[in-house]
Amino acid sequence: MADFRFDIIGEYFPLFMRGTLYTIGISLSGIILGSILGLAIGFGNLSKKWYLRLPMQGYIHFFRGTPLLLQIFIVHYGVVSNILGRTDAVVAAIVALALNAAAYTAEIYRAGIQSIDRGQSEAAKSLGMSHWQMMRYIILPQAIKRMIPAFGNEFIVLIKDSSLVAVIAAPELMYWAKGASSQYARVWEPYLTAALIYLTLTYSLNKLLIYLERKM
Amino acid sequence: MKKAFMLVLIASLAITLAACGAKKENEEGGAQSKVYVFATDASYPPMENMDKDDIVGFDIDFLAAVMEEAGLEYEVKNIGWDPLLIGVENGEFDGAISAMTITDERKQSYDFSPAYFESTNMILVPEGSEIKTALDLKGKKVAVQGGTTADTLMTDIMGVGDTSLKKFESNALALLELANNGVDAVVADSAVVKDYVKKNPDKKFTTILDTENFAPEYYGIAFPKDKELKALLDPAVKTVLASDKYKEMFEKWIGVEPDMTRLLDM
Repeated sequence: MADFRFDIIGEYFPLFMRGTLYTIGISLSGIILGSILGLAIGFGNLSKKWYLRLPMQGYIHFFRGTPLLLQIFIVHYGVVSNILGRTDAVVAAIVALALNAAAYTAEIYRAGIQSIDRGQSEAAKSLGMSHWQMMRYIILPQAIKRMIPAFGNEFIVLIKDSSLVAVIAAPELMYWAKGASSQYARVWEPYLTAALIYLTLTYSLNKLLIYLERKM
Repeated sequence: MKKAFMLVLIASLAITLAACGAKKENEEGGAQSKVYVFATDASYPPMENMDKDDIVGFDIDFLAAVMEEAGLEYEVKNIGWDPLLIGVENGEFDGAISAMTITDERKQSYDFSPAYFESTNMILVPEGSEIKTALDLKGKKVAVQGGTTADTLMTDIMGVGDTSLKKFESNALALLELANNGVDAVVADSAVVKDYVKKNPDKKFTTILDTENFAPEYYGIAFPKDKELKALLDPAVKTVLASDKYKEMFEKWIGVEPDMTRLLDM
């Protein structure tokens, strides 16, 4: 540790910063797209109709039951390259993270909605509310509040998992940390710096979520 | 509940220990004499790659011949490129054989055996590409294996931090990227590129040799600094290099006769 080379960090710092922007962008797009897709999957999963429920359950099982690293490779070399006719690491990274996050957020929606006491929906129905009115005015406002901590967790996990897309050479933070590490055959300087940046990202997000929770 | 938990815990510990134990037995074989441990990154066919559970390739055959010549016990571990660089430097491994080019920078961190293989970096492009020399690659998307000499050469040409230069974990992934039209070219050792073209005759690729910008490179066995093993192996490397065995393994893995003119003089 005595010969900690700050010059390596200095040289790679602009790249780490650019990589951090990619990390934020990829994770943010992943969680937003994933939450939207997850909403559809979550509601499908809650449906009484089996032909809606079963495919959604299959989807959730697949994406929660296989390693994210594997999903990234499949999306990158299988899905995106076939649709675009060429590979694109950043697109593949966002798609893979969104698909993966959708499975987890779908379960968050389901758990949130099911956690609301049955008496609430019975009361809404006795007032003559339709199913969607009940969801909109009674169930969801309460459920969303309970979902926030779980969403925060998922977002934090996603930021950390986004480091996996370095294997398909998406130029995010981990990619540059690895680049610096292999160029100089050094471990501490690039990886500790990357760890510190990830920590800053997750810590600020955590603070933001606590603030949001208190506001709601 | 508590009982069930303890049972699961004990069972999982037992399985882990059994898995470790099984491996130990294999290694026990040459316990009397020192077993030298060599590291490799077995994702570099035809120099070294995995064949099911075994590490095979030119480097592996060459090391076997050298260790036989020197009369030493050894084993080879596949640990990946970055861990290899660090593991040899801090002495965790006794040496590394992994198509490693002898460079001045690397000489600061490692000792090298005499050169045992001549190689050049080569450019692989789709048929009909407008790329003709290494300098044409500037501004194009290029895939390399990170940390290799191809990475260094291309970083010099394209500049540090250019995201058009995509650094992958292995050449296999870099080549896959080219096959999926993600990049315009791959730069890698000639042996790797030729092997890939040979194994994929249906894909339309052109190889470009640019000796002006990519000078010949020489592979060496890397050792931690100032260890006795280098002195033990150097004469053996020279002997194997001059033998017919070298020619045989070269033809077996590379498919052509070796050009020994420069190699034997080094």
